Amino acid sequence: MFDFDATLPLMAIQFLILMVLLNRLFFKPLMKTLDERDSYIRSNQVDAQERLAKAQRLIQQYEEELAASRREAQALVASAEEEAQKIAAQRLAEAQQEAQARREQAQQELDRQKAEAMQALEQQVDALSRQILDKVLGASVG
Amino acid sequence: MQMLSFLDTFTAFPLAELEVGKHFYWEIGNLKLHGQVFITSWIVIAILLTASVLATRNIQRVPQGIQNVMEYALEFVRDIAKNQLGEKEYRPWLPFIGTLFLFIFVSNWSGALIPWRLIELPEGELAAPTSDINTTVALALLTSLAYFYAGFSKRGLGYFSKYVEPTPILLPIAILEDFTKPLSLSFRLFGNILADELVVAVLVLLVPLFVPIPVMLLGLFTSAIQALVFATLAGAYIHEAVEGHGGEEHEAH
Repeated sequence: MFDFDATLPLMAIQFLILMVLLNRLFFKPLMKTLDERDSYIRSNQVDAQERLAKAQRLIQQYEEELAASRREAQALVASAEEEAQKIAAQRLAEAQQEAQARREQAQQELDRQKAEAMQALEQQVDALSRQILDKVLGASVG
Repeated sequence: MQMLSFLDTFTAFPLAELEVGKHFYWEIGNLKLHGQVFITSWIVIAILLTASVLATRNIQRVPQGIQNVMEYALEFVRDIAKNQLGEKEYRPWLPFIGTLFLFIFVSNWSGALIPWRLIELPEGELAAPTSDINTTVALALLTSLAYFYAGFSKRGLGYFSKYVEPTPILLPIAILEDFTKPLSLSFRLFGNILADELVVAVLVLLVPLFVPIPVMLLGLFTSAIQALVFATLAGAYIHEAVEGHGGEEHEAH
C-alpha cells in the first residue's frame, strides 16, 4: 500500500501542468469576467444612484413649485371673492339708494296729488256749501 | 491487506472484488509507475479541462449553464483562498489552491460516483487517484514547496526567523512542523479516501443492494470535506509563511 515509486514525481509534474492549464483556461478568464462584472455593476450602481438623486431633486423642485402655485391660486381665489363681495355690497347699496329715492319720489307725488285733491275738494266745498245755503236760505230769503 | 483476502470466498458478484496493494504497473525504462492512478487522474484532468474550456468558450456577462457552474466553483475556491490568505495576498495563490481543491474534489467524487471497478485491468483496479499514497504525497510536497516559496519570495532569508521567532526553545518543534505538515496532509487525504473506498467495497461485497447507499453518501460527504480541508490547510500554511508569526494556527481534522 505504501510503495512509493516514479508515480510520485510524475504526479507532481502532472499536477503542475494541470495548474498552468487551468490557470490559463479557467482562473484567468473567469476572474477577469468576475472583475469586469463587478466594475460594471458598481458603475451601474453609481449611475443609478446619481439618477435617483436627480429624480429626487426634481420631485422636490416640483413639489415646491406645486406648493407655490397652490398658494398663488388660493390668494387669487381669496382676492376674487373679496372683490366679488365688494361689488355685491356696492350694488346692494346702490339698489337700496335707488329704491329709497323712488319711494321718496312716489311719496312726494302722493303728497302733491293729495294736496291738489284737497284744494279741489275745498273749492267744491265752498260751492256746495253756497248751494246748500242758497237752497236753505234762499226760500226764506227769497 | 491479506486479512481481507478471506472475503474473496464470498465473491459471487463482479462488483465485489477487493484488491488492495496491487497495482497495474507500467514500466518506463527502469521506472515503475502505477498505471491505474494515471488512467483515472487523466480522466479527472480531462473532466476539469473540458469543463473549463466549455465554461470559458463563450463568456457572457450574465452567466448561463456551464459558465454559471464553473463561476460558482471559482467563487468557492476564491473564498477558500481569500479566507486563508486575505484580500491582498490571495490572487497569486488562487490557481494553486483552486487547482488543489478542484483536482482533489473531482478525484474523490470520481472514486465515489464512477463505477471504475467495472473496467477490467490485468492487475489492480481503477480507483480515485487520491486513494494512492503517491498522489497525496505529491500534492502535499507541492504544498510544502509552495509555502517555502511563498515565505522566501515574500520575506527573503528573514523567513528563517520564524523558526526562532517567539523563542529559540521551540526550534526543534518548528523544524518538525515542516515535516509533519506534508505528512499529515497526505496521510489524512489518503487514509480518508482509501478507507471510504474500502468500507464501500466491503459493504458491497457483503450486501450488494441498498445497504451500502448510506455509506456511499457519507463517502461523498467526507470526500468533499477532505478536498476542502486540504485546500484550506494549504492556504493556511501559505498564509503563515507569508505573514510570519502572529497568525493563528489553523489545524483541523
